[in-house]
Order: sequence, then C-alpha cells, then structure tokens
Amino acid sequence: MNHENDTLVLGDRAYTSRLLLGTGKFADADVMARAVAASGAQIVTVALRRFDRDRPNDALLAPLLAMDDVTLMPNTSGARNAEEAIQAARIARELCGSRLVKVEIHPNPRHLMPDAIETYEAARVLAADGWLVMPYIPPDPVLAKRLEEAGCVSVMPLGAAIGSGQGLASAELLKIILREATIPVIVDAGLRAPSQAAAALEMGCDAVLVNTAVADAGDPPAMAAAFAQAVAAGRSARRAGLMPVGTDAQASSPLTAFLQGGERA
Amino acid sequence: MNAVSASTSRIPPELDPQTWLALPLPDARAVAAALATEEPDETTFVTLARAEPARWLEVLAQRAQALTRRQFGRTIQLYAPLYLSNYCSGGCAYCGFAADRSQVRHRLEPDEIARELAALKELGFEQVLLLTGEHTPHADFVYLREGVRAAARLFHEVTVEAFPMAADEYRALAEAGCTGVTIYQETYDPEAYERFHRWGPKRDYAARLEAPSRALAGGVASVGLGALLGLADPLADALALFRHVRALQQRFWRAAFSVSFPRLRPEAGGFQAPYPVSDRWLAQLIFAFRICLPETTLVLSTREAPAFRDGLAGVGVNRMSAGSRTTVGGYDGHAEDEGQFAVSDGRDVTAFCAMLRGRGLDPVFKNWDAAYRSVLPPPGEVSA
Repeated sequence: MNHENDTLVLGDRAYTSRLLLGTGKFADADVMARAVAASGAQIVTVALRRFDRDRPNDALLAPLLAMDDVTLMPNTSGARNAEEAIQAARIARELCGSRLVKVEIHPNPRHLMPDAIETYEAARVLAADGWLVMPYIPPDPVLAKRLEEAGCVSVMPLGAAIGSGQGLASAELLKIILREATIPVIVDAGLRAPSQAAAALEMGCDAVLVNTAVADAGDPPAMAAAFAQAVAAGRSARRAGLMPVGTDAQASSPLTAFLQGGERA
Repeated sequence: MNAVSASTSRIPPELDPQTWLALPLPDARAVAAALATEEPDETTFVTLARAEPARWLEVLAQRAQALTRRQFGRTIQLYAPLYLSNYCSGGCAYCGFAADRSQVRHRLEPDEIARELAALKELGFEQVLLLTGEHTPHADFVYLREGVRAAARLFHEVTVEAFPMAADEYRALAEAGCTGVTIYQETYDPEAYERFHRWGPKRDYAARLEAPSRALAGGVASVGLGALLGLADPLADALALFRHVRALQQRFWRAAFSVSFPRLRPEAGGFQAPYPVSDRWLAQLIFAFRICLPETTLVLSTREAPAFRDGLAGVGVNRMSAGSRTTVGGYDGHAEDEGQFAVSDGRDVTAFCAMLRGRGLDPVFKNWDAAYRSVLPPPGEVSA
C-alpha cells in the first residue's frame, strides 16, 4: 500500500503520519524526545500550562523545536472553561509556531472528562479567530457535527477516559461519528495497546493520539515505535478493505426453499 | 476512641468512621477483594489500611505507584511554603507557634514579603503556600489578602494555609489571586480536638470543619485537607479524612483536592503524640489513600526525613515541598526565630530535584499560567 498519497489533511496541511503523540507524563525531556522520534509523529501536543513564557527554549520545548518534521500543537488542558482556554491560546500564540490548537477543557480534575458546552464555545471562538481547531470531545455524534459546522478541522473524541487504558470503550458511538463526519476523526485518550490503535484505524478513524500508553510503558521509545507500526497496519487494512463480518454458512434446509419452485398456476 | 463524648461538638454522620472501625481485621481474602474492586469505598480503605503489612505492604506500594503514574505520569509537583507571620491566638497544645510559647513573634512587612517571594522565585518555584497562625490583629484577613496579592504578581499558583474564614473573605482572596486553601482539621475526633485546642477561635470544631466548603463556595479553585496524625486514633482520623474528601468531591465537582499527611513531630514545648505513627504505618495509610482516591493529589512535606520522602515520591505521593524554611522570613537569610516545626529534609531544591531525576521522576514547577486564568472561576457547586 502506498502511503505517500494517503495523507491526513488538517486545514491546509497534509501529514503522512496518522499517529499523534502527547508529551506529558514522561520521566524527562530526553525520553520524551526519543519517543517522539521513534513514533514518526508529525504532530505532537504540548500543554500550554507547562510553557514557560519567560524561557521559551526550556527543556520541554527545545528538543521538539529542533525536530524538522514535527508540528507543535499546543493544548489547553488545565483550562476549566472556555474563557481560560481562549485566553491561553491567544497569549501563547507566538510560542506555538503553528495555527493548530487542541481545545481541551475538563473542569473536573479527577476524571478529566471534556466539558462539551465550554469546548464548543472555545472552539467556535478560536476557529473564527483563524486557528485550526482540534477539539477533544466526548464521543457525541451531534456535538461532532456542531463542531464541524463551527469550523473545526477535526474532532478528537475519546476512546475512554484519559489515562485509563480501557481502549475503544466508545466504539459504537465512534462508528456513528465516523459515518457522519466530513472532517478527520482522531481518537484521543484511553488507548493502552497498539492493537487498539490498529482497531481504531481499521474502524475508519483517521488517526489516533496517545500519551500515557507510551509515557507509562517500560520502554517509551520502543512502545512509540510499536504504536507507529500498529497505526500503519490499521490504516493499510482499512484501505485494503476488510472482509465482511458474519457471513453465515448456508443452512442445509434453507428457510427460503419454498420459493425455489415455480409459481403455481 | 469514642466519637460520642462530653464534647459540645459532634462529628457529622457523613464523616463518622465508627461503622468501619468496628469491622474485624481483614483476612487475605478481604484484602484481595479490596484490591480488586473498581469502586473503592470506606470498607476498601479500612481494609487496605489494616492489611497485614508483612504480607501486603509491598503489594500496596506497587499498586500505589502504578495508579500514581497513570494519573500524574512520572512527575512530581513542587511548591514552597512561606511563613508570613508566627503571631498566633491559638492554644494548640502541640504547636511551636501556640500563643503561650515563648517564641519570638514576627511578621513579614510588605518589603520583606517581596524579598522572600523574589528569593523563592529565584529558586525556580512557581507555586507558593503562604502561612500564618490563627487570626490575630498582627496577621488578619487584610494582611493575608495583601500577601496573596503580592505573591500572585510573581507566582502562578498561590495557596494559603491560615485560619478559617467566611465565604465572602474566601471570595476576596480568590479575587486577589489565591488559587487554593489548605486547612487541616487536625483531628476529626471532637473530644481530642477540644482537648488539644485549649482556647481561642480554633476551639470551634465545626467552624474549621466547614471552612473548605466555604472556600470552594467562595470560588477558590482547590482545597487541601489533612489530619495531624498522632493526636487521636490515626485510622479513625484517616477514615474521616477520606470521607471528608469524598463528600466534598461530590459536592464541588469542579474543584481540585489534595490530601496531606502531617505527622506530629517533637515541637517546642515537648508535646508527646498520644498516638505516634510509625513510618511503616504512615506509608500504608498513604498507599490506602492513593488506591482509594486514585485521582487526588497526595502531598508530603519536609516534615518527613529524606529517606522516607524519597521512597514515597511517585509511590502514592505526587506533590512535595522542597528546600523549605518554616521560620518567618527564612529564604532571604534574615530569620533568627525558631520554626513551627523542625524540617527533617534539609536538602536544597537542586539536591531534591537531582534525587527525583535519579528516580526517573520529572520535577514540575509550573502547572498552570496565571495569565490564562479567568478572573472569577465558576463556583461549580451542586446544591444539595
């Protein structure tokens, strides 16, 4: 399968990698940078809350800025409402180097579930501002369409709770989102194993974003590489066309046998 | 221990630990069931806290580390305490700052506060905890609010550990830049509470117990709770504390919570803890908290010794102070008085961060930017 012509299009940019990586939770910036390199990810997300605006070339950002083929996508995690998310994106605009922004608003610091109402509002305002907005959302098909209408370049529904490693718990809702969406759907949060990432791509998702699954692995760079392989395999399988599910064997006494004979006069 | 006593105060039923303290000591099956449950509750907590350590302590530690990593990653949040004043109207029998101690009294004036804050900022801190004693004319609400204002100009997170206030005072503190309030109940046992708080406004058990709710209702974003372990039956206090956190988390769903584990240490005045808590037991309590509150910040200060802190960093605990001075004006090199308690971990920030990195943990100073914050955070309270 030729991946050269199979790109993930976000706004005016096209990417060959369908694996996005988060940069939090790593033991140090060196492990993080090696994981990013091993993943082949072209988009990595960095929390605005960790940006040191006084020292923009800090340990976190410097190795990422040095990577040629990597676009930084700041995220607004930590924001408790739309106002804070918008404020964070606007203030840190000069640090981002791209117009991509991941709108992430989870007011409850325990389960970190996205606030659909505040997320919609922030996404609407930032999209109108000219940002390429990628909102992190609950797996809600109606919300996904509303955000598409508001000008978002993708939606990022959760597979399961952040850090939970429960995989594609939201699979049935994701399928509805995928059926309806005309912008890329990127599964964000909840993935634990590369096989789950492959399953997301096979299902038709355009990309996945992982963080804890890599950062909390025994060997983060090796796990990042494994995710890259799984994402590529899942995408190839999707394009190859999976066999249909549930092709039942022919019963020896078909229920429609009575229709086989000629019509009676 | 008995919650029913001659005391005028009662522990509210939703915090009372008695039902679970009466459970038999857990056998191996009970501990295994507690470790397997997806819905940790009071029974889970008390089961894990009383699990036979020779058999279970390592198992609990492994689980605590896995859960800490899942929620917080391989990171430790760092903060520094700044004692603004050691004037105190309180009669806490165990405290080096109590009103009847022959302590040199001092408060930082605005220029001194500015110097201390600058010294802390220079060390790399972005999160500061401002402390005073109980309310006195020398260190009252207005004094504290001005301290918060000064700190909020330099620091991204400013928390306060002072005295119980009214909701409108907490709101004014939030507007001045206060992002968190720490207030320990000390002990949830009303009888012990009354015995050790000999006079002054701090004798009011209920006023202290309700302070976290008032702070959150006033718009403060986070609250730190704790019990001063050693004053009363530590298991009873830990369980009541667990119930307190859970009750507040349900009511204030947007708020962040942290739990601290101050343990009574030898203070000025020679107070002996009636229920001393060993290292082993404190560790087990911390593991039980982590397993039963997997998403809540757990804090360990420099009251504890280096080996103990190093062992728990990332193994349950995800937030720590470092390089702390517990004297008034300790960072700018001018303090001469005695601290509130003796610092056991005297390592400076650089040495402490080197230890964390050596254990595969990333020290995190900055976790939010004050410039992003909305002026008035939504209260986020679900009315009962």
